[in-house]
Amino acid sequence: MLRKAQLAFAFFTAAIFSAAPLYSQSPSLIAAAKKDGKVVVYGSLESDVADTAFKGVKNKIGIDVDYWRASATKVMDRALSEFRAGKPVVDIVLTNDNPMQIMYKEGLFAKYESPSAKDFTKESIDPNLGPRYRNVIIGVVYNKDIIKAADAPKSLEDLVKPQYRGKLVMPDPTQHTTTTQWVASLDKLMGKEKAAKFIRDLAAQKPILVESLLPAAERVATGETPIAITYVKYVYIYGQRGAPLDYVRLGKFMGDGHYLDLSAKAPHPDAGKAFIDYFLSADNMKTLAKAGEFVNRKGIYPPIPDADKIQFVEMYDLDSKAFAEKKKEYQQIFLH
Amino acid sequence: MSADERALTVAPSTTTAWSRTRLGAFLSQPLSWVFISVVGIVGFLSLYPTFFLFYGSLTDAPLGVPGHFTLGNYIRAYSDPEAYPLLLNSFIFGLGASGLSLVFALTLAWITIRTNAPFRRIFELTAIVPNILPPILVSISWVMLLNPSNGLINGLFVKLLGMEKGPFNIYSMPGLIFVESLILTPLAFLIVAAALKSMDPSLEESAKTLGSNEFGVMRRVTFPLIRPAILAAGTLNFVRAVESFDTPAIIALPARIEVFTTKIWREALGSFPTNHNLAATYGVGILVIALIFVYLYRHFTSQVENFSTVTGKGFRPHQIDLGRWRFAASGLALLLLVLLVLLPLLVLLLVAVLPYYHVPTWRTWHNLTLDHFRYVWTTPRVHRAFANSLFLALAGASVCMILASLASYITVRTKIVGRSLIDGLVFIPWAFPGTAMALGLLWAYVDFPIPIYGTIWIILIAYVTRFLPYGLRAVSSTIIQVHKELEEASVVCGAGFLATFRRVLIPMMRPGVMAGWIILVTIFLREFSATLFLYSPGAEPLGPLLYFLYLDGMRGRVAAIGLVISVISIILIAFAQRYSRWETN
Repeated sequence: MLRKAQLAFAFFTAAIFSAAPLYSQSPSLIAAAKKDGKVVVYGSLESDVADTAFKGVKNKIGIDVDYWRASATKVMDRALSEFRAGKPVVDIVLTNDNPMQIMYKEGLFAKYESPSAKDFTKESIDPNLGPRYRNVIIGVVYNKDIIKAADAPKSLEDLVKPQYRGKLVMPDPTQHTTTTQWVASLDKLMGKEKAAKFIRDLAAQKPILVESLLPAAERVATGETPIAITYVKYVYIYGQRGAPLDYVRLGKFMGDGHYLDLSAKAPHPDAGKAFIDYFLSADNMKTLAKAGEFVNRKGIYPPIPDADKIQFVEMYDLDSKAFAEKKKEYQQIFLH
Repeated sequence: MSADERALTVAPSTTTAWSRTRLGAFLSQPLSWVFISVVGIVGFLSLYPTFFLFYGSLTDAPLGVPGHFTLGNYIRAYSDPEAYPLLLNSFIFGLGASGLSLVFALTLAWITIRTNAPFRRIFELTAIVPNILPPILVSISWVMLLNPSNGLINGLFVKLLGMEKGPFNIYSMPGLIFVESLILTPLAFLIVAAALKSMDPSLEESAKTLGSNEFGVMRRVTFPLIRPAILAAGTLNFVRAVESFDTPAIIALPARIEVFTTKIWREALGSFPTNHNLAATYGVGILVIALIFVYLYRHFTSQVENFSTVTGKGFRPHQIDLGRWRFAASGLALLLLVLLVLLPLLVLLLVAVLPYYHVPTWRTWHNLTLDHFRYVWTTPRVHRAFANSLFLALAGASVCMILASLASYITVRTKIVGRSLIDGLVFIPWAFPGTAMALGLLWAYVDFPIPIYGTIWIILIAYVTRFLPYGLRAVSSTIIQVHKELEEASVVCGAGFLATFRRVLIPMMRPGVMAGWIILVTIFLREFSATLFLYSPGAEPLGPLLYFLYLDGMRGRVAAIGLVISVISIILIAFAQRYSRWETN
């Protein structure tokens, strides 16, 4: 009888632990967060992806998320303007590395070490900003209906071959900040000399220049231009809708990191902390990966073919002076 | 000069007692208090954010950080020799787009208002629809139609005529001018149509009696009479084109054509981090250009008596019988509406029923979806945005038109010293590029003593501040045509200012007031450049929602929402037009 009871207890305990959620949080913090009622987030995470994450926040913590979505630069503008003017509205800022570092230097963030951060690798934790929860990866995407896999470029260097002249669309590196950064970081993949030559040859191909990475992907999806320099995740996002997109397996891909931090003057600090804990949890990382994001958790990949083989190389952080200089330089190369 | 106006003309005084008497006489008039209130409100709305922008242009630090006085931003912005050829490009673009929009608007307005062309009411109703579509969507629609690679119209030419390559290339200066002119046409149409509605056709009839043919009447009578409205529309559209960024971003960038706004974007607004001070400095430059045009406009229209056509002697605009040419006129109007409304809306409809946009093939029919419309019906965020925007559009447009009616009456009708100040004040916030002005509004109201930052009221204030000139132009071009003798008769009969304003002027100005109201409602329903900076995350209007969905590549959802907004705006326009017709008065 005792043995049966012991077995039942062991089974019951095992059942409880195996059914335990991947995400767990301090009940007192959740109670305090509920008292705050809501959390205000400014970010550049795409609305649909953000919505899936925010549903989890609502279900697990029981608070609403008011989300203000804009480009990374606009997110920084608004958060800093309110902060400096002493009218803080935001609890959480969630955007790219460069603007996050600037906001950090301005003292906008409070230090919060989330228990969920321990599950990220050491390399993906920034000493100022905490875990880099996702990477936004830039590559070469093409329309499979127009260019057969065998005829597609095999490397970045292939893009400057004569057969691809006039067939390439990319964001204007003199206007679009992430693309300026990408072009400026090419020497990380090719070395300085090769990169300088590649940039000049790329400009000589007269690519169609558009305002940002999304319109570049759209032009490939619609078939207006067959090849684009854009985010690799669009292969999945547009593929879900039926667009015949694929990407060139470059091996090493450059991109940027995304972070989230709590405002030092957050009107809802506990809700903000609970939000960060959930957002960095394995549950949420899986949700983001399912939506096509390259999250920084071992073994969790987006449903994009060969996503696990992608080697991520972080682009250079440029300061405002370097951005201005590079944009001027690329103006001479790409527009003249 | 009427007794009221004599009392209101304050000349320099020689003695204090005399001044007191004059001041007393001035303040005893109800109109004086209206003048003081209008100048106070308009002055505050206009100068408060403008001050912050000027301040920003003369300092080296962003908002909230103590900086130093500097002229460095001006030196940097205007010592660059590359800036001047770009200004020339902007000038060509602005002139071409506003000129072409006037040709489209005049043709359409004349056919729909003054002729007996069949279906003219339907044409009139639909001519304003494009104003509701965000300019960025119109530009994208035309890229889908006319891009040299797989544009639908080019493809049609290639298929039907066996051409090797389509004949059109949207990525060119003519393409840029053409698309922008289509975007600007509804505004010009509303202003010109209002003036045509208020015109006394007896002058045209007299010209015909004296032997002039229809073309001669149009050239010698109709056209000169509506000149203020044409100039008003041309001025507004020129400035709007010069400061536009959406169309150049989509069409000029791939065409490698640079205009001044793309330079502003690269060096100030799109720089990292955003250089607010430099953006404000460029904004001041565009303001100067815009104010020159406002001055020219006022110079052209200073002889207001020349344009007075609605007198107390009885008038009733009626249609010109075009005979058998009326069908040709309808055909021409239809062609213009195909360009303005039908083609962009068809592209939108196509985008709204496809999972992602692509050139339609037989396979496409199997992939059609109503998912994007389902998103509109089932998403609380969309419902909330519609409610917010409808409130902002109806309340904002009504407040704007009340202010605009009073301001244009004072500017056009009275001789009050300093009345022309109102015109200048109203135009200042509008003449800045949208995003620069949004920065000024943010800086001005983020630390305002009354806590309106982060509420819907700050957006309402921003709309009234920025778009009051649209209302003012629409009413002014109508009020110029109403002869003073009607009000004078009212005053002689013993009516005070308010009674005369309410019983005589408002009914006479009604076409202009309603035209302005329609323009404003349609703009407010989709405005985003100022809204984006000012709305609080929980109270999102439609403009930012559309912008974010666009930013995230959700073209299908944007198109579906755009179509629903179009339907709502058509209902509002039909309602407003019903109340703007003379025959209903």
